[in-house]
Amino acid sequence: MTSIQSSTLLALLACIFLCACSDDVKAPLVATNIEIMEAMPGQKMSAAYLTLSNNTNDAITISAVVSPQFELIEMHESLLEDGVAKMRRITQLLIPANSSLNLERGGKHLMLMRPTGSADQVALNFYSGDTFLLGVSSPLSSRNN
Amino acid sequence: MGMKNLIFAIVLGSALASGIFVAVKANKPVELQTAFVIPQPSALPDFSLVDQFGAAVNANTFRGQWDLVFFGFTHCPDICPMTLQTLAGVKRELIDTGALTLPRIVLVSVDPERDTPDLLGDYVDYFGDGNLGVTGDLEDVKSLTSALGIYFEKAPTDNGNYGVDHSAAVLLINPDGEFSALFSAPHTAANYLHDLPIIMRGN
Repeated sequence: MTSIQSSTLLALLACIFLCACSDDVKAPLVATNIEIMEAMPGQKMSAAYLTLSNNTNDAITISAVVSPQFELIEMHESLLEDGVAKMRRITQLLIPANSSLNLERGGKHLMLMRPTGSADQVALNFYSGDTFLLGVSSPLSSRNN
Repeated sequence: MGMKNLIFAIVLGSALASGIFVAVKANKPVELQTAFVIPQPSALPDFSLVDQFGAAVNANTFRGQWDLVFFGFTHCPDICPMTLQTLAGVKRELIDTGALTLPRIVLVSVDPERDTPDLLGDYVDYFGDGNLGVTGDLEDVKSLTSALGIYFEKAPTDNGNYGVDHSAAVLLINPDGEFSALFSAPHTAANYLHDLPIIMRGN
């Protein structure tokens, strides 16, 4: 076997090994780009943004998000219609199979209401019906930098 | 025409075309990215509101500096802080780049029932020094917004509370106190940083 052939084989084996490993650790639902905003002065509510990635072959529906740090979390969508900003509550978040959903500024997002204390770290737990799907935790982000 | 002449003609034609293009591009006036400049700036109407300190706010308050005016409310968790964060970032960037003319950021409340001067003051201060919060009686707010084409309407929520649907545009008021340009949403810092200096230089 020439050195080129052997290095190609090694690279291939490494690739197969890495791919197999990454498949093993891939959770069904993953949250990234998590930003939980601190409440604005005088306010008892805030917003949270994140990307939810569905790594399964089936759609995932999130019907509730709860947190020990907030009495109530609603799913909302900001809309811009004919130059008018609106915000409406939505009842669920649908993440298609093998796709991602961005909860982002000016779009779908979480509205966190009535904080239970003054925590610096906020946990969010995502449910589909009674089924727990995912728990994440993140420090608060500010909007003045 | 022989093959050599044909190639020469193509090369010459391309060179001329690109030369003309460059010349046209060089002479083209600087274009704005998103701002719509009002051809004939209009004076603000008569109105009587208050700022975060309880001081009177009227048309004269908008004379003497450039103002970026946004109409929003403090109970708004997404669009309003996002817009004000963008405007504050633009102002910081202008300061960092040594801009001589800086706009003031103004939030006019479209929820004056809940937005007291104190609450509005804490809110605008969060985004930096020198910002102005404006509130007052609902009818007085409407006398300003209706004259400027700004829409707002309460939107009841199913938990017995309410939000406010509102125009998302940011208005630019010139130092003569005239509505002179409009930035439509979505707002991005890059667009402001491109357009604002051009407009403010031209005044």
